[in-house]
Amino acid sequence: MSSEHPTRPEDFDLYALGALDDAERQAFESHVVSCADCAEKVAAARGRIAILAFAAPTVAPSPGVKETLMRQVIASAEGPSGGLARVKPEPAADAGVFARWWGVLLPVAGAFALATVLLWLHNEQLNRQLADLRNTIEQQKQELAETRHQADLIAARETLVVPLWSQKGTPESHAEGHARVLYNAKEGMMTYDGWLPSAPADKSYQLWLVPMNGAPISAGVFNPQNGEMSHMMMKLPAGVTAKEFAVSLEPAGGMTHPTGPMVLVGPIS
Amino acid sequence: MVTAEKRAELKATDASLIDRIVQRDESALAALYDRYSGMLTSVLNRILRDTQAAEEILQDIFYQLWRNAAQFDSSRGSLSGWLLVIARNRAISRLRRHNPASGDELSENTVVVASNLERSVAQQQLMAKVKSALDNLPKEQRAAIELAYFEGLTHSEIAQRTGDPLGTVKTRLRTAVETLKRDLHS
Ligand SMILES: [Zn+2]
Repeated sequence: MSSEHPTRPEDFDLYALGALDDAERQAFESHVVSCADCAEKVAAARGRIAILAFAAPTVAPSPGVKETLMRQVIASAEGPSGGLARVKPEPAADAGVFARWWGVLLPVAGAFALATVLLWLHNEQLNRQLADLRNTIEQQKQELAETRHQADLIAARETLVVPLWSQKGTPESHAEGHARVLYNAKEGMMTYDGWLPSAPADKSYQLWLVPMNGAPISAGVFNPQNGEMSHMMMKLPAGVTAKEFAVSLEPAGGMTHPTGPMVLVGPIS
Repeated sequence: MVTAEKRAELKATDASLIDRIVQRDESALAALYDRYSGMLTSVLNRILRDTQAAEEILQDIFYQLWRNAAQFDSSRGSLSGWLLVIARNRAISRLRRHNPASGDELSENTVVVASNLERSVAQQQLMAKVKSALDNLPKEQRAAIELAYFEGLTHSEIAQRTGDPLGTVKTRLRTAVETLKRDLHS
């Protein structure tokens, strides 16, 4: 963390250009976020760098783009809140005429009602099937979104990849344990993939994010079975700078802070 | 032929067009599209080298402007600068398969551009100026700037790409941005 203003004026341009590597960029941002003077300089540097776009060869968009855009815009304006005129209710029918026809219409009405109920039941069934289908689609969409998110997380430049290993002096049974954590502080997204032997019956493993400052944050409790790999993905508070990740052996169900032996540790180099 | 109405749109400031978008005036968005879509398409195509992807992003940016124009504060920064920054960010994210930028792009990315780019003549003048400024840079400096700006590479990624020592790349880029600042903003 740096509380110094960037020393050279070009630092702002290099930042806006995106040329700073992760550590430099983070140091720069951690200062600028709380310095109004520097934030102003960043805005000006962004403008200086932005105009480099004009070095690109001139290409015009195809006319279809504007058309699609304007159609999209107009469709959004006609959305649910758009002004559909209300249909005025018809004036009530003359009661006398209605009563005279009642005798004739009643049996017809009965048959019609039955048909309506049957149709309604059929419709209900269709609706249920439709709802099931929608649920399935929704679920698949969600799974896809999660997979994509994970792929994006892995590709992101600021994502840390931290291997976790068993520590010296760990009991023989845990010596083969290993894991890998991906951690994106900006988003607070974290994934864990690893192997550990099954925990004793009354114990669970617990994954911890140990921040630079403050107490370890629990990132999940897990119980691997039958020598299988564990995969977890979790959302933690965003913006926490991690010092290390660790897995400890805790009473079944986990604890609010680590109490048991650390079986895997992954310091951030 | 240019109608009187069209002439008025050509003269309208970005800020007044934004205000009209906030009032749900579609023609104001169309006017901003006419004003800036060419400049954005050029940079998107240069980064992505993929017309379809470039046009998707282009449409998306203007649709975002339509939906969230109220968040844009014309007194803090310029729309043209914001559009250029967002277009480049999105194209590079796509190129490098990063997370798409999320959230409050409209209120968070303040960009102050020294030149007023509302008139197409001004855009053409600036284009000539930028091209000549880049042409005047030593070859390696220009290449480094282009790798950073159009491909989104950092110092060490450029060093890796060109095989030059990191220190050399850093000096090159620093000198290049210094020269450009002097040539383009004096
Ligand atoms: Zn400062």
